[in-house]
Amino acid sequence: MKKFLYFFLSVVIIVLISKVYQSSLPEYSPKRDYVDLENEILKAFILAEDNSTIELPEGHFLFSQSLSLDNKKRVIIKGKGMDKTVLSFKGQTQGAEGIKITNSQNIVLQDFSIEDAAGDNLKVSDTDTLTIKRIRTAWTGKVSTENGAYGIYPVLSSNILIEECEAIAASDAGIYVGQSKNVKIKNNKAYYNVAGIESENSTNVEIHNNEIFQNTSGLLIFDLPGLTVYGKNIKAFDNQIFDNNQINFGVPGSIVSSVPKGTGVIIMATKNVDFFNNNVSNHKTSNLAIVSYKVFAADKDLESGSQISKTASEGIRFIDSEFEKDKGYNPYPGRVYIHDNKFRNTYRFPTLSNDFGKLWYIKNNARIPDIVYDGILPEGIKLNSNEVRICVKNNDNDSFVYLDAENEFINFSNDLSLFNCELKL
Amino acid sequence: MIINNTVFKILFFILCIAFSRCDSNSRKRPLAKKVSLKPTMTLKNTNEKKKLSEYSFFKGKISDLVPNKNVFPYELNTPLFSNYAFKKRFIYLPDRTQIEYLKDEVFSFSNGSILIKNFFYPTDFRKEKGDKKIIETRLLIKENNNWKALNYIWDENQNDAHLNYIGTQTKVSWTDINGKNKSIIYNIPNNNQCKNCHLNGKMVTPIGITAFQLNKKYSSVAFKINQLKYFEEKNILVGLPDFDEIPKFPIWNQKNSASIEKRAKAYLDINCAHCHNPKGSAKNSGLDLSFNQRDLRKQGIFKPPVAAGKGSGNLKYSIVPGHPEESILIFRMKSQAPGVMMPEIGRSVVHKEGVSLISEYIENLKESSF
Repeated sequence: MKKFLYFFLSVVIIVLISKVYQSSLPEYSPKRDYVDLENEILKAFILAEDNSTIELPEGHFLFSQSLSLDNKKRVIIKGKGMDKTVLSFKGQTQGAEGIKITNSQNIVLQDFSIEDAAGDNLKVSDTDTLTIKRIRTAWTGKVSTENGAYGIYPVLSSNILIEECEAIAASDAGIYVGQSKNVKIKNNKAYYNVAGIESENSTNVEIHNNEIFQNTSGLLIFDLPGLTVYGKNIKAFDNQIFDNNQINFGVPGSIVSSVPKGTGVIIMATKNVDFFNNNVSNHKTSNLAIVSYKVFAADKDLESGSQISKTASEGIRFIDSEFEKDKGYNPYPGRVYIHDNKFRNTYRFPTLSNDFGKLWYIKNNARIPDIVYDGILPEGIKLNSNEVRICVKNNDNDSFVYLDAENEFINFSNDLSLFNCELKL
Repeated sequence: MIINNTVFKILFFILCIAFSRCDSNSRKRPLAKKVSLKPTMTLKNTNEKKKLSEYSFFKGKISDLVPNKNVFPYELNTPLFSNYAFKKRFIYLPDRTQIEYLKDEVFSFSNGSILIKNFFYPTDFRKEKGDKKIIETRLLIKENNNWKALNYIWDENQNDAHLNYIGTQTKVSWTDINGKNKSIIYNIPNNNQCKNCHLNGKMVTPIGITAFQLNKKYSSVAFKINQLKYFEEKNILVGLPDFDEIPKFPIWNQKNSASIEKRAKAYLDINCAHCHNPKGSAKNSGLDLSFNQRDLRKQGIFKPPVAAGKGSGNLKYSIVPGHPEESILIFRMKSQAPGVMMPEIGRSVVHKEGVSLISEYIENLKESSF
């Protein structure tokens, strides 16, 4: 009997401790006073005609299902301001998205908030010419794995402007542009997300003047295998990326759930990336990492509780071990130019919550590097060949690590001279 | 002992509080005050027929669903699961028009043709022909070479059905085949949800009107004849090839109709492939559940999720051969949580029989052969 009692006591203590521990997650809890105008607003969306404006009134509107627009041209959806017009999908019983827009052209969404959708707050697919302006997307309450995946999520779309928006507490990425073309993401704020802003398999993307902070990882520039479209030509400049050290609360199994916390920027498997004039500071794993798809998921973030699936040497985890079968996919970064940035770190010691952090203790004199490059190359290709070239130049403070991850860190080095070059992008 | 029990109770209590705290963030639906229409939201009327009776599809008492002239019943081999609803389907063809047979795609129809699908529940599933309650009638209307979806909701006394765009929820009860009372909240879709399933590329299109699905005995009509053959004899279907050239879907719940794999694939085709195909709204997932997809990865075998979010349920692959419990497909078919459940819409209860079919199919796949 006593044994049981002790067991119970210890369970109680563990639970209480974990409560306290969880309380370190941030919270976004604006005051809400919901009203129900569901049928009218739903009807306005469904019966919207081409060349029309849907004017959303002031108020906190609660919905039980997604709002959607399909196959529309030149429609504006306009609220009274992100603090005044709030569309909440808290506890929705139908559909995964908050707002879903498909197969449309010339769509503008502006001046309102979207909150608490079961899946993504705003998903736009197969749409050409899209403006998302002064939209706030958020999941309210304490940040949680239960939160929906993406805040603002255009996918398979083109000519997109995302401007002056705020993205809060997504369990995947706050602003996520996937498989799209000609995208501008500027003057936005992204915080309390797993990934602040993510460009995935997209082409001709400009990401600038954004404030990205208190996420697990700030800015992700990714190319993933197995999809219909691959990305290249990314410019990221004049961004403020700082303090992205949040515990990874991503859904285990999702790709971002294996992003190590405390990374400011990760450039993975993407070609033609120009990263300049940014301020990147205060990250416990590294300010910036350039990696191939092979090494990206090498890590297990102990705090996130995510699982390692397939473990190769050095604990490298292959998320999609058959990516080599995808002939259209190139898993290596190339033509990446990191220049004229300012890197700072007030953290003295690397985090112990992931393998990179631990590696810095062993290999890097317990220092957190600003820039990390995994150095994994396609077979038979040399480090200085044009297609895989990485150049790092003219940054203010850029402590550097070349991992040589493929050869069990044999040529691990801090020497930047090999990468002192310029790229025309 | 007594003291111990009390201590236990207190500990339990603390635990409950602690855990319920964990749930304080849960997505419970808060209360919302009903407000009236604000002047800024002006809504237009449309030109569609307001009542189902205006189409004159049925003769006599409308709820008996007895087809009028030019209205022909049809059935599918393996239909979409819709919360255990029964369905009566009809094709309306304008005078002197015909359906054109196409081998691997939806048949071709003339402008003015209408597909009519009535969703109903017999009061007692053991007496299918007995009393019933019709919930809704969905129409696909071909106009100016495009299909258009409309939905009509039946009134309580079954006298007519009324045009609806925004959908609604309604409670449905019945006695199931084992004599048990069942009751569910049935979601009648809004107009965009109709399109969500019926989009192929950018065009609305019918789903079930294919040779695969219609190639079956015509039990709607008293005589046992093949449905397609009957249509040809009635001179409403042209281009029917020799019989052995007509493809045929297995019947998902008839074991003698085909192998478990074929029956499972037919089930996945009609329930999932309207979105999960290379042109469908779920194409960004890379999963293609069409019956004829040969690529194992695209079928879901050892395929990792792309942007499934919590839909992946902490699992690594859509289908893990031999392990239904590790397969995302099964996880999502079993779920009823928005954002996780599949299909995303049109289902408010789990289709147990469908889950067992797909589980058995995955169970039977041998890991070593992939």
